[in-house]
Amino acid sequence: MSASEVKPAKEAPRKIVQTNPDYDPNIVVETQNLTKIYRDFWGRQKVRALKALDLEVRKGEIFGLLGPNGSGKSTTIKLLLGLLFPTSGRALVFGNDATEVTKNERIGYLPEESYLYRYLTAEETLDFYGRLFDIPTKVRQERAKELIERVGLTWAKRRQLREYSKGMVRRIGLAQALINDPELVLLDEPTSGLDPMGTREMKDMIIDLKAQGKTVIMCSHLLADVQDVCDRIAILYQGDLKELGRVDSLLKVSEETQVRFTGVPQSAHDEIRAVIQKHGGSVKSLENPKTTLEELFLNIVRESQERPGHRSARAGEDS
Amino acid sequence: MAMVVEDFLNFGEWFPGAVYTFFLLTVALVALGTFFGYLVAAFRHGPTEGFYIVAQTIGGAVPDALGTSPRRVLAIARLAAIEAIRRKVVIVTFVVFGLTLLLGGWFMNAGGAHPDRIYLNFVLWGTQLLALLTGLLMTAFSLPDDIKNKTIYTVVTKPVRATEIVLGRIVGFAAVGSVLLAVMGLLSFLFVWRGLSHSHRVVGETQSIASFEEIDPTTRLNRYGQRVSDSAIKTGETTVDAGHRHMLEIVEDIRDKDSPPLDDRNVVSKSELPDGRIRYERVLVEPYGGHSHTAVVNGSGANAQVSLESAEGYFRARIPVYAASLGFYDSAGEPKDGGINVGKEWAHRGYIDGGTSMNRNSLSKAEFVFEKISPAIFKDPNLLILELDLGVFRTTKGDIEKRVLGSLQFETIPDNAEIDPVFRSERIVFETDEYNVQIIPLRRDLPGEKLRPDGTILETRDIDFFNEIAKNGRVKLTLRCEDQNQYLGVARENIYFRASDGLYWWNFSKGFLGIWAQMLVMISLGVALSTFLSTPVTMIGVMSMLVLGYNSSFISGLISKENIGGGPLESFYRIVTQKNMEIELEQGLARMVLEQADFFLLSVLGSLSNIAPNFSQLHFSEFLLYGYSIDIHRLAAAMSVALAFTIGLTVFGYFCFKTREIAK
Repeated sequence: MSASEVKPAKEAPRKIVQTNPDYDPNIVVETQNLTKIYRDFWGRQKVRALKALDLEVRKGEIFGLLGPNGSGKSTTIKLLLGLLFPTSGRALVFGNDATEVTKNERIGYLPEESYLYRYLTAEETLDFYGRLFDIPTKVRQERAKELIERVGLTWAKRRQLREYSKGMVRRIGLAQALINDPELVLLDEPTSGLDPMGTREMKDMIIDLKAQGKTVIMCSHLLADVQDVCDRIAILYQGDLKELGRVDSLLKVSEETQVRFTGVPQSAHDEIRAVIQKHGGSVKSLENPKTTLEELFLNIVRESQERPGHRSARAGEDS
Repeated sequence: MAMVVEDFLNFGEWFPGAVYTFFLLTVALVALGTFFGYLVAAFRHGPTEGFYIVAQTIGGAVPDALGTSPRRVLAIARLAAIEAIRRKVVIVTFVVFGLTLLLGGWFMNAGGAHPDRIYLNFVLWGTQLLALLTGLLMTAFSLPDDIKNKTIYTVVTKPVRATEIVLGRIVGFAAVGSVLLAVMGLLSFLFVWRGLSHSHRVVGETQSIASFEEIDPTTRLNRYGQRVSDSAIKTGETTVDAGHRHMLEIVEDIRDKDSPPLDDRNVVSKSELPDGRIRYERVLVEPYGGHSHTAVVNGSGANAQVSLESAEGYFRARIPVYAASLGFYDSAGEPKDGGINVGKEWAHRGYIDGGTSMNRNSLSKAEFVFEKISPAIFKDPNLLILELDLGVFRTTKGDIEKRVLGSLQFETIPDNAEIDPVFRSERIVFETDEYNVQIIPLRRDLPGEKLRPDGTILETRDIDFFNEIAKNGRVKLTLRCEDQNQYLGVARENIYFRASDGLYWWNFSKGFLGIWAQMLVMISLGVALSTFLSTPVTMIGVMSMLVLGYNSSFISGLISKENIGGGPLESFYRIVTQKNMEIELEQGLARMVLEQADFFLLSVLGSLSNIAPNFSQLHFSEFLLYGYSIDIHRLAAAMSVALAFTIGLTVFGYFCFKTREIAK
């Protein structure tokens, strides 16, 4: 699936009434002192899920919300969508309050699990969500067709979602999030339930969305996924913001240097060590880098697809 | 027991009052809702913040209402309809309905006193129950399931307003329900029609006039010991079909030469009498259980074949013209508030007496005043059909085996009693039949007299009903009991003109429109409650409202009447202390507490009965059962009530949905 294949559909320009005089078009999402306390029926405090969160998400970036289970990632997303009401503080999306319905015109949302109507087919699902955006019939049909192709479900478009596997539901879930060609896409655990290939495709897609100028906010506890795609991240722990910044600068280990080279014999390694020691440094490791399991798996699958029936050349090297 | 028709105004007269009540109720509910909402918000967020939250919610309702898109409403309606179909609610309903009809068909037959009522009651109750149950199930599961499964997340994160979510569901389920009801209505109609349709054959080998027996002139009884009509010459009987038989009679019918032609299909012979009149012999079929058949005679003489056509008389939609008022007079001729109470618990009818041996000339009578009478409202102005549904109370001082005689008399109500002449018909004497609705056909020209304003007779001749008696559109009809020591009971709706008959299928459809209106209210209620309650609680809530709604007339009756023995608590106190209802309680604190608590309880009950939809107002089954046309004004009012509830419940559902957190 490739995001760049989707043509921007022709439809009437969106009319969003901007009521906030301080609205900066480069700030897509802003939270101010955003706090959420869950209470029981009698109003007694149960959990303080989010504590005075201050964030800004800028236009065109991929922003990651990171944290362990129960850290407040999903709560933040739900507050931004208006699914929850803040206990105090504010959540602004496109300069409007998050409970404002009209902001949804420009938003696409993929929930943690794709909560879709299981008695609808893929076509009907996209048609239904398209209707909710008041998209004209022709545009709606074209866009639904393109999105189904893009998520690779053309072959199953007339089957009810109850017959879909988890990965297929996830894909159609993403398609519904993009039916309105949104400017801001919120993805809650986008790779959950996907196989490695699906995960890779999803990540490629997120990067493609960015290439189209869209802003993406995703939350995940799969660190590798976040690292692969996010420009900036916020790390939450028990409702508190613990870290916020660019991924490359946050992950940079300033006191160490990594050199990768090829074509140097094993004998040269001692010389390299000597040079480092001569300059007062110490060598922590000097070894062949390892690929990731994800890379290995994807290469094997790719080869198997190219040469069906053959065992991968790589497999069994050490056995 | 007869059907009791309550007074109903013209829709035009009813509507402004109804709108006013709706407005008052809306204002009261909005005030109550705002207050309650503020209490909750203030408790959660503090008094100032709470105020802003309430203001914001109410203020936000305007753009939400204005921004409601029909396309989105239809999209959600379509989804609701697909949901109902794909979750097999519709199929299951049809299967249950089909099975009910099949099983019902096995156990029902056209025998018995009123098989039409049994059939209609069965299909109407069955349909109503199923339609309401289906509506309840569809609504109670839909939104709570969406919230529970979190599918609602993908909907509310689209530019969808709460109004659209609530309204869309109501429209979608109402559409599914409408299709269901339409099909069930059609099947019901076919079921009733097919179940009641039957014919008979004449008992005897030849199916001819030869099978009829001569009547013994000394007893004038048929072979079953039943009295035959005065003009009967021969009797016969039909085969038992559909659980009953009809008695047949050949009657002698002598008519003037110039009298209107008869239906000649049932004429056995025709001869001219020496005085020039025509003597017909006709085969008549005695009605049974609300229906009869037309006898058709083929051939002539003793070998003439007699056959019976299919049952007729079941499918009626009588359009009655009721009296505007009814007044009672006692045996001394003095006006009274009501008739004599003969000690029956159901004191709906008032009774008049026929005098006693001590007072032979009782002046007891019931006077009906009909208004707006004109030839235009009668299908055939030359034939006035009066229908009577009287009660009879016999005393052993009279002949308790004999049918009680009554009489009817029409009289002008002059615009100016001092100068206008009065036209008065002769007393039309009839035998009462308290077990059936009696039909009394009258000619337009009634024998009677013209009187001067002082009451003296000016002339005695045939007088024209429309041009003379009811010239100003008003007419007085007096009912008297003509048998000593016996009583006739009557209520306002017990005597009426059967002006014409409406189309049966249209009346049947109107009956189903009533069920549709109930279903619409039910669906709206289910959707509104499901915006903030879980499935089981929604079901209990809707069912409670249903019980309250069907009994709201009873409840308002409880509150408006002065109850002998006090309210619920006082009554309970009387039961416990074994005091009867009439004994006055001792003055003191206990009595004051009881009375005040009862007052409070009844007030709460009264408010609840106002909030709950009055389902009996939307219920027209009785009209169909008793064969009366459903007044279009009444239908229009029912539709308005259903619509008002739908609007009110949509607004209620909107606020409930808007102010709740969707996610947890």
